[in-house]
Amino acid sequence: MREIFFYLAAAGAVFFSALMVFQRGLYSAAVCLLAALLQTAVLLYLAGSPLVGLLQVIICAGGVMVLVVVAIMSSSEPKAEPWARFGVPGLLAPGVVVLVLIELLLAVSGSSAPAGTAGAGLDARLGAVLFGPYAVATEAVAMLLFLAALAILMDEKGRTS
Amino acid sequence: MPPRLLPSPWGREVNALAVGLALFAAGLAAVVLRGQLLAMLLGLELMIAGVSVILTYEAGVFGDPAGLAAVVLIIAIAAAEAVVGLCLILGLHRAGLGGRAGSLTELRE
Repeated sequence: MREIFFYLAAAGAVFFSALMVFQRGLYSAAVCLLAALLQTAVLLYLAGSPLVGLLQVIICAGGVMVLVVVAIMSSSEPKAEPWARFGVPGLLAPGVVVLVLIELLLAVSGSSAPAGTAGAGLDARLGAVLFGPYAVATEAVAMLLFLAALAILMDEKGRTS
Repeated sequence: MPPRLLPSPWGREVNALAVGLALFAAGLAAVVLRGQLLAMLLGLELMIAGVSVILTYEAGVFGDPAGLAAVVLIIAIAAAEAVVGLCLILGLHRAGLGGRAGSLTELRE
């Protein structure tokens, strides 16, 4: 069963990422990227790291995609390349995402334990590594996130003034 | 010895490496071939996802949590990069420069 989910997620990730390149519209490209990121989360879960898979769903497929959709809605769509011919119909796009979410839930609930190549011990040691030898890098990334939040505030301040 | 998915010399790690490389290649194609700034940003996200897949599987192969730490840091950096990139793209739209990379010629002139 684990192998089936692995190959299903791998094929889905490659298919949707290739489809994203040839999408005519930005909205359909974003939907394809969302599907590819959710399939990637399945792959990360099956790699034995459910924490990283969860982070992928929350941050990349969740927060970043919300920002992308808001940016698409806020801006006029520029003209696409002539070779970008595909377009996911509007009614089909939610169906694709729902199908991928169902696959993600089945993959998570189908196996009682994360099917890792090195077991579940890696996630347990992750915190010790992040706040041990890589503490400076962790603090630097935290500062980078803070600066990114400041970028939004400065952008908003510049727009209102 | 990690369990193998295929009854062949190709193990799960090699398959995951191929998937990660395919995702990276598709993202690179989107960055290089698409002229829309938002589509290029989507391609960058795809490249980061490919690298995350490869790093996670290799961390499992070597039993080293440093690979997972790198993935967590990369995901956080990707979120910050998306925030700053989208702010810049929206700023360009507001300035009337459009959403195509070809319209940004100020440094060239």
